[in-house]
Amino acid sequence: MPAVLEKNIKSWLLEVIKPQEFNEKNLKSSGILFEAVVAQNQIRDVAKEFLSQGYFLESLTAVDFAECFEVVYHFNHWDSTKRSCVKILVPKDLPAAPSISSIYKSANWFEREIFEFFGITFVDHPNLKRLLLPESSQIFPLLKSFKGEPAGGDVLQSLKLIEEDRQGFEITYPRSISRHKEDYYLNLGPQHPSTHGVLRVLLHLSGERVLDAEPVIGYSHRHHEKMMEIQTYLACWPNFGRLDYVGAMSYNMGYAILIEKAMGLEPPPRVEYIRVLTTELNRIASHLLWMGTFLLDLGAFTPFFYCFDDREKILDMLEMVTGERLTYDYFRFGGLDKDIPADMIPAVKKFIPEFKKRLRDYDKLITKNIIFKHRTRGIGVLTKETAIAYGVTGPSLRASGIPLDLRRQEPYSIYKELDFEIPTRQEGDVFARFSVRVREMEESLKIVAQVIDKMPAGKITLGKLPKNVPKGETYSAVEAARGSFGIYLVSDGSLNPYRMKLRTPSFSNLNALIDVLPGCLVSDVVAILGSIDIVLPEIDR
Amino acid sequence: MEINENPLNTQSPAPGFVNLFRVEDVFNLARANSLWPLTFGLACCAIELMAGGAARFDMDRFGFGVFRPSPRQADLMIVAGTISRKMVPCIKTLYDQMPSPKYVIALGGCATAGGPFKFPGQYGILEGIDKIIPVNVYVPGCPPRPEALIAGIMALQKQIKSGKTQGVMTPAVVHDSQDNHPAEYKNAISRVEFRQPKAGPPQAEKPPTPTPTAPTPENKG
Repeated sequence: MPAVLEKNIKSWLLEVIKPQEFNEKNLKSSGILFEAVVAQNQIRDVAKEFLSQGYFLESLTAVDFAECFEVVYHFNHWDSTKRSCVKILVPKDLPAAPSISSIYKSANWFEREIFEFFGITFVDHPNLKRLLLPESSQIFPLLKSFKGEPAGGDVLQSLKLIEEDRQGFEITYPRSISRHKEDYYLNLGPQHPSTHGVLRVLLHLSGERVLDAEPVIGYSHRHHEKMMEIQTYLACWPNFGRLDYVGAMSYNMGYAILIEKAMGLEPPPRVEYIRVLTTELNRIASHLLWMGTFLLDLGAFTPFFYCFDDREKILDMLEMVTGERLTYDYFRFGGLDKDIPADMIPAVKKFIPEFKKRLRDYDKLITKNIIFKHRTRGIGVLTKETAIAYGVTGPSLRASGIPLDLRRQEPYSIYKELDFEIPTRQEGDVFARFSVRVREMEESLKIVAQVIDKMPAGKITLGKLPKNVPKGETYSAVEAARGSFGIYLVSDGSLNPYRMKLRTPSFSNLNALIDVLPGCLVSDVVAILGSIDIVLPEIDR
Repeated sequence: MEINENPLNTQSPAPGFVNLFRVEDVFNLARANSLWPLTFGLACCAIELMAGGAARFDMDRFGFGVFRPSPRQADLMIVAGTISRKMVPCIKTLYDQMPSPKYVIALGGCATAGGPFKFPGQYGILEGIDKIIPVNVYVPGCPPRPEALIAGIMALQKQIKSGKTQGVMTPAVVHDSQDNHPAEYKNAISRVEFRQPKAGPPQAEKPPTPTPTAPTPENKG
C-alpha cells in the first residue's frame, strides 16, 4: 500500500532521525512531498532506510549558498511518485560529507560530480576523482566564487592537455581485481563508431572476456549548468534543445513544466496537445535513430537506411512546426513559439498508417531474424535490483520488469486523458530492451493518433509573463526517450536561476554498465552499449 | 593545334585536341573524388553527419560516403560538434594519425568558433578547432543541414581539384560560381562560408609523435 509506505518513511524520519528542519510540500507545485534537513552523520542511516523501503536515488547535487553548502538528495519510489528531498548542510571551512556510495551505487558518480564542481570531499568514497573535467584541472566551476577563466585560456589549456597526453598517463584502476596472467586493458573509445559519441570505456580483459569495465565520461562536457546560472530563464531554451539532441522535445517539455510549476502557470489546452504531439513524434524519431545505429553496431546495415528514411519523414513534419531538424527550441513558458501550420495534421494522418506498415516490416526483418536473436537474447542482463541500485530509468528499466513511466506515474500535461500502455519485459537483456523500445514506438503512435483527433482550437500563449521566477525550490521530471529527466531549480527571485541541476537519464543508465559488463565478451559490449541508448552530451552536460 | 594547359580547371575553355597537365593534377583529381571521411562524431552535428550518409541525402552519390572508422585509412576529418577540452588531445592524436594529404572540415558553429557554448570565462570547450589543427572548409549552422555538409565537402573537392590545398594546407578562398552544382544545392552553397587563414595556429609540418591512446600493461599503474 503506497499510502502506508509514505506514512512510514515520514514518521520514521520524524520519530527516529528527528530532522533539524522538516517541511511538508505540495507535490503539484514543488515536485516533492517533503523536505528534511538532517545532520551529516545521519545521512547514511536515512539512505539505508530509503533503500530498504524500495526507493531509488533520483538525483544528488549540491548548492553553494553564502554561508554553507547544501547537499540535496532526491529519493523516489518506483511504485508511485513519492519524491522526497533530504538535505545535509556542509560548512564551507570543512567541505566534507559522508559518502552513501556503498548504499546506493548510483551515488558514486553523483558524488564525484559534486566533488568536481564544488570541491566537497566525500569521506569513504572508493574513487573520489574528477569525473567530467580533465583529471589535471584545478577548478571548481560551480562555486559562486568561480568567475571564469581568462580569455584565451581555452587554447592554453588545450595545448597543455595535448602535452600531458603526449607524455602518457597513469591509470589507477578503481576496483581490486584478481590479476590473471593473460589480462590486459583495452580502451574502447572515445573515438569509436559503436560508442554513439565520445564515450570511453576502459575494459579489463582476460582473453576476450571482460573482467571489469569502467566508463570514462566528460569528453563532451559543455558546461550547461554553469551557463544557465549566468543566463536569463528565457536564454536557457537553446541549451535544452542541445542537451539530448535526439529527443530534444522532451527536454523542452521538462523545462516548460518546471517553470510553469514554479510560477504557477496553467498553459491553454491547445498548447498541451501540440506539446504532446511534437514530443511523441520526436520520441518515435529518437527510437528510430537508436534502432538504426544499434543494429548497425550489430552488423545489420539495411535497417539503418530504413530507420533513417522513416525518421526523415518525422523530421519533415517537425521542421514544418519548428523550423529545425534536431535542436528544437519550440516551447515557451505557458505556451509555444508558434502554432502548428495547416498542413501538419494531414501530414501526420498520412504518416500513421505508413509507419504502422513499416513497424510490421521491422518485425519481419529484425525481430524474427535468427542472427539477431542469438546476438541479443540472454546478453547483458540488467536485474531489477541492479537497476534500482543504480537509479536506471526509461526503457532500460522497463525491460527489467519495473513499469516506471512518469507519463503514467506522475501524469503531467494531458497524459492522464490519453489511452496508452506501458510496455514491459521481464528478462532485462538486450533483446528485452530492444522490444520494449519497438513497442513504445507503437504506443507513441497511438498517442499521436488520439492527440490529432482531440486537438482543440484556442490560444497558444499566455501573453506577457514576468521575467523572473519566484523564490523557492522546484523539482520537475518528465519521461524523456531515455528515461526520467529531472530538473532541480533553486531560484533566488532574480532574473537568472541560482542553481539548475539537470538529472539526465543516461547518466545513471550508463553507470549501471559497471555491473552489467563484467563477464561478457567484447563483441557483446558493443551490443549492450547500443541497447541502453546513450546520448553522450546528455550524460556529460 | 589547340593546347589546353589546365584541362582540370573548370573555368578553362573546352578541352583541346592535346591536353597537357601535371601529374599532381591527376593525383588531385583522384584525391578529390575519393575522399574517405573519418567516422567521428562529437555532438549534435554528428547526427546530421549520419543523416547525410543515410537514405535521403546519401553522400555516396558524390564519392565521399566511404566512412572509415580508423584514422589510418581516412583522409578527411569532419569535426562534427562541440570540442570539449578533455577531447582535444584525442582529436589531435586522430589528426596526427591520418595519412597526408589530409583535409579538415569544421562542421557547425561549435567546431568553427565555439557556437552557442561560448561565453566570457567559459571553462569547458575549445572555441574553434582551427586553434589546434588547420581547417579547409567551415560549414556554419547549429547544426548544419546535411545539404550544407554536402555543399561543404563539394567546396573542399573543388579546392583540391584546383590545387589550392596542395602542400601547406591553408584554408583557401573559393570563388564559387555555383554553376557546376545541382540546382537544389544552390542555396546551401551560399551558406558555406570560407575564411582567410588565420595567423598563429601551427600549419602542415607536424612532429610525428604518435601518442599512446591505448594503455599498455607497462604504464597501467
